[in-house]
Amino acid sequence: MQIYLPIAEIPVNVILILMLGLAAGFLAGMFGIGGGFIATPLLMFIGIPPAIAVSTSTNQIISASISGLLAQLRKGNVDIKMGWFLVVGGFLGSTIGVSIFKILQKTGHIDIVIPLVYVIFLGSISVTMLIETIRTLAEKKYGITWEKKKNSRFEKLLKKIEQLPWQVYFPKSDITVSIFVPIVISIGIGILVALMGVGGGFLMIPAMIYILRMPSSIVVGTSLFQIVFIASNATFLQAVTNHTVDIVLAFLMIISSAIGAQFGTRVGYRVDADSMRLVLSLLLFAVCVKMLFVLFAAPPSLYIIEVLK
Amino acid sequence: MIRLRLRYSAIYSLLALFLWSANSFASPVISGISTNEINIDHKFLGAQILLFGAKGDAGNIVIAVRGPKKNFLVTRKQKLLGVWYNGERVKFKDAYSFYSLFSTFGPQDPLDSELSEMELGNDNLKFSASGDIGEKAKNEFQIQLIDQMEKNSLYSAGTQRIDFLDETLFKVMLNFPKNIARGTYTVEIYLIHEGSVLSFQSIPIYVNQVGMSAKIFDFAHEESFFYGLIAVALALVVGWLANYLFARFLGK
Repeated sequence: MQIYLPIAEIPVNVILILMLGLAAGFLAGMFGIGGGFIATPLLMFIGIPPAIAVSTSTNQIISASISGLLAQLRKGNVDIKMGWFLVVGGFLGSTIGVSIFKILQKTGHIDIVIPLVYVIFLGSISVTMLIETIRTLAEKKYGITWEKKKNSRFEKLLKKIEQLPWQVYFPKSDITVSIFVPIVISIGIGILVALMGVGGGFLMIPAMIYILRMPSSIVVGTSLFQIVFIASNATFLQAVTNHTVDIVLAFLMIISSAIGAQFGTRVGYRVDADSMRLVLSLLLFAVCVKMLFVLFAAPPSLYIIEVLK
Repeated sequence: MIRLRLRYSAIYSLLALFLWSANSFASPVISGISTNEINIDHKFLGAQILLFGAKGDAGNIVIAVRGPKKNFLVTRKQKLLGVWYNGERVKFKDAYSFYSLFSTFGPQDPLDSELSEMELGNDNLKFSASGDIGEKAKNEFQIQLIDQMEKNSLYSAGTQRIDFLDETLFKVMLNFPKNIARGTYTVEIYLIHEGSVLSFQSIPIYVNQVGMSAKIFDFAHEESFFYGLIAVALALVVGWLANYLFARFLGK
């Protein structure tokens, strides 16, 4: 069954898109991640132009995040005060990101920059994760231990952060931190949200734990809280400035990935954390390798003709 | 509404022309087409329109079909460490998005300078590149543009023949491929004798995009503010609904 995507201006198979959404949602639910990191590349692999894949993914992320946020709010696992500071930075970051996106689209480099950014991030994240996971598994199975390197540079950075002005107390997380820290972190992540079509949880959650030192029970809910706002801002701005949000594609992805996520979450409970991390890192590495092929693919002809709108 | 009124007025004027020319025999060539309208939907695979006419005088007939003018961007791909990226780009302003030519001139007859002024013939199409680029670069990119347009059947290479049923009656099948741009096309029929135009007739063809996807596309570009708001609202509502339904019927 074919359907014509109005913004991407290409016909696609509805079943293929629904299967893709189910798979992305399933993996997202299983691994407890937002899924943008999987959904966006998959959309590119089936021939959706990178710019449209990214913007449409941010649209789908709103839906996935609000669903998760509502569950977290019910459990009371959200530091709303911290969330608002992250939203301020995230709004700034995603607005900057959409502007960069616009410039790249104008100069015609967006379709190459998106896969490039993906290769860099997927490559470094999957390899780091893979090494960490193999170490943990080896430790557990064979009792091999590695000397933990003391990351003195990171310690020094944390010391410096403690001396920053405008320290604010966050009662829910029971931490005191300069407001510059959450704002600067979320600006950086906001830029990536707009450029990569991801929620940014894979960076936000470690940053909350290791830099902001928030309790781990609260990080997921608070991360989802800011993602809802930032993904909304990014989607709106992409629609207004770049006309790259395909509402038909987004709708199909939203429905199918919501269903997929429900099943994924249930499977996720039964699989142990370490082997899950191993599978996830291998999966991300595979996506990275496939993305390299996109990057090195030869164009259909040496000269490309476009009709300007 | 305006477009509709325009279309009717065009048909009326065509009708008037027909009656007037039939009565007075003043026009040496008259012609008509099978339809004035092409509707593009997602299943559109191209269209054919029959043009027929009668010629009363000696001379050669030239028929040109011109699509709406668009801006084109031609990009040369370049390779860096195995990665293809966009190199030099040239923008052509107001170039025909469709061009097709038929004539009774033989391949030996030179289409003279007058035809070139009226932009009749692929070689006579005028392109204006925007920005400060050299003549050499302009030519290189212009050749590529024409070449690609011919490959996509949007420009027809050279001149095509006109079928004559007898001395006076002729017909031509106008082919529109599936990737035509929407807008107003013009079919121009010239009667040329010894370097001067004896008769000229122009018939419009309206190419419209119909169906849901065309409406969504227009809305996304013309009302992007509301389109953006709707996209966000849709995602919020569906996300909330999914959460509610799953919690209710499947449990947590």
